[in-house]
Amino acid sequence: MKTLRRFLQKAAWSGLVTLCLTALLSTSSLAEPLNYRLKWLFNASVVGDIYADVHGYFTEAGLDITVKPGGPERDAIKELELGQASFGVASADQVIRALSKGAPVVVIAQIFQVNPLHWMYRTENMSITQLNDLKNKIIGVTFGGNDEIILRTLMAMGNISEEDATLFSVRYDYNPFYQRKVDLWPVYLNSQAVFLKKKMAENGEAVSFFNPADHGVQFVSNSVVTSRKMITEHPEVVNAFVTSLCKAWEAALTPDNMDKAIETLQQFDKDTALDVMTEQLEVTRRLIKPTPEMAIGTIDLKAWQQTAQIMADQKQTPSLISVTDAIIPLAK
Amino acid sequence: MLLRRIFQFFIIYILGISLLLGLKYVLNLSNYVIPAPIELFTTARDEFSRYFYEALDTLSVAVIGQVISVCLALFVGIVGRQTTWFGSFVKVAAYNFQAYPIVALAPIIFILLGDGFISRLLIAAMICYFPLLLSIIGIMSEPIKDIEHFYQITGRIRWQLEVKIRAFENLSKLTTVIAGSATLAMAGTIVAEFVAANDGIGYSIRIALYQSNLAKILVALFFIGISLSLYQGLLEWLGASIKKVWATL
Repeated sequence: MKTLRRFLQKAAWSGLVTLCLTALLSTSSLAEPLNYRLKWLFNASVVGDIYADVHGYFTEAGLDITVKPGGPERDAIKELELGQASFGVASADQVIRALSKGAPVVVIAQIFQVNPLHWMYRTENMSITQLNDLKNKIIGVTFGGNDEIILRTLMAMGNISEEDATLFSVRYDYNPFYQRKVDLWPVYLNSQAVFLKKKMAENGEAVSFFNPADHGVQFVSNSVVTSRKMITEHPEVVNAFVTSLCKAWEAALTPDNMDKAIETLQQFDKDTALDVMTEQLEVTRRLIKPTPEMAIGTIDLKAWQQTAQIMADQKQTPSLISVTDAIIPLAK
Repeated sequence: MLLRRIFQFFIIYILGISLLLGLKYVLNLSNYVIPAPIELFTTARDEFSRYFYEALDTLSVAVIGQVISVCLALFVGIVGRQTTWFGSFVKVAAYNFQAYPIVALAPIIFILLGDGFISRLLIAAMICYFPLLLSIIGIMSEPIKDIEHFYQITGRIRWQLEVKIRAFENLSKLTTVIAGSATLAMAGTIVAEFVAANDGIGYSIRIALYQSNLAKILVALFFIGISLSLYQGLLEWLGASIKKVWATL
């Protein structure tokens, strides 16, 4: 009898300790330090991400997130798989390429509803209203980049062969455009385009922008990604992350919060002038929240499917990749 | 010598690839992070001819760049060996010039000289030049007292003779330094192609990086390694031949 009582006492204590440990561990999984790898350096394109960090949105959701800048040598999807990051930002072409090679990546929110990639041109020289207008032009392109895929798709749609237009390899040096060696130059509408437009205006030159989406090419840009393992094992963390991130983006892009957003951005981006930054933020708002009623993070499945189709048509993936399984919309 | 170099390169390359594949299978990584052997094979097959010619293109620029940097280093080394004010000025200028990282200078070179052959050549020569200069200054500043003393006593010492004596006595060091600098010339050319050119294997690596295609990068590395091994082997053979000829003089 005594032995049985001791056994029951021990069992009760063990149960209690296990319960406490489980509770402790489940709390710590939310507060565990996690990395969020961005696609690019700190600039207006990531204002919502840094706003979430600086103004405590992640902490409020019980998360301990370190927002890390990206860059040309960074690949968030690889970092997810290597366990160096738990969340990241990747472009759709990166995601589709990764899926085609079996990477266990999932898309949980789409940041940009309109791809910021446009082509800038001088209005005194030309007007690009239809794809045929690209003929006989010298068009800047980053060979290997997603602008090449978009441009080649546009050319295919407009029946423009390589003999009809000259493709010019571009880098971060804009001199070929300044020197009029190139007619159309690829730019991100919410970053380089703002200061380049200003610089050109100072020189008395007006520019306009050619938007591939206006000609039927919906190529998805940056989205928030995580690993399949993360979403399976810690759905509550992923949910908390997406919810707090979208809330922060919403706040950062609210016109009333403009000063606060600029102030936040200035802590990280010290090289951009205030007027340029303000305009960059305005443009970013239009690209991320094109209509007031659109919820930030909304995933445009049709655009994803078209992007996958373009990638297959351009032989960037061995076959058409189904993106449906890899898209888990969490943004509310 | 040449065959040994190639054989050694193959060992290193295979070890490197095996390590990567080992990591891939141990950590269960997808083909996006580390490509599968079959993907490496198909990429090598598909890109062989293109990468082969691009590696040759890069190597040709590296060779010319190295010749330029050897000539420049010899010139500066000979002038800088002097203990005069001008000699020390040349040394200081050469050292300061090297203090600027090439990636910071590349955009200026790119603006001034465009994205063609000259930019690649200049950047390759600049990267290769400084280590060569250090060795050459070291060699040329060290008097061979036993021999030079005789010419000094007899009043027949001239700068050309001094340079010849020091070069001859340090021939082994010089050939080793020159053969070793081939690696730097190749690396310099690849950096140049990466930042400021539209040709060569470095440019292809840049495109492959944009596409996160490690298989292409690994194939490109193979071509870089094999062409460098061949070139270095050839330089070592040339050095050994020159030594033999000089020994008979």
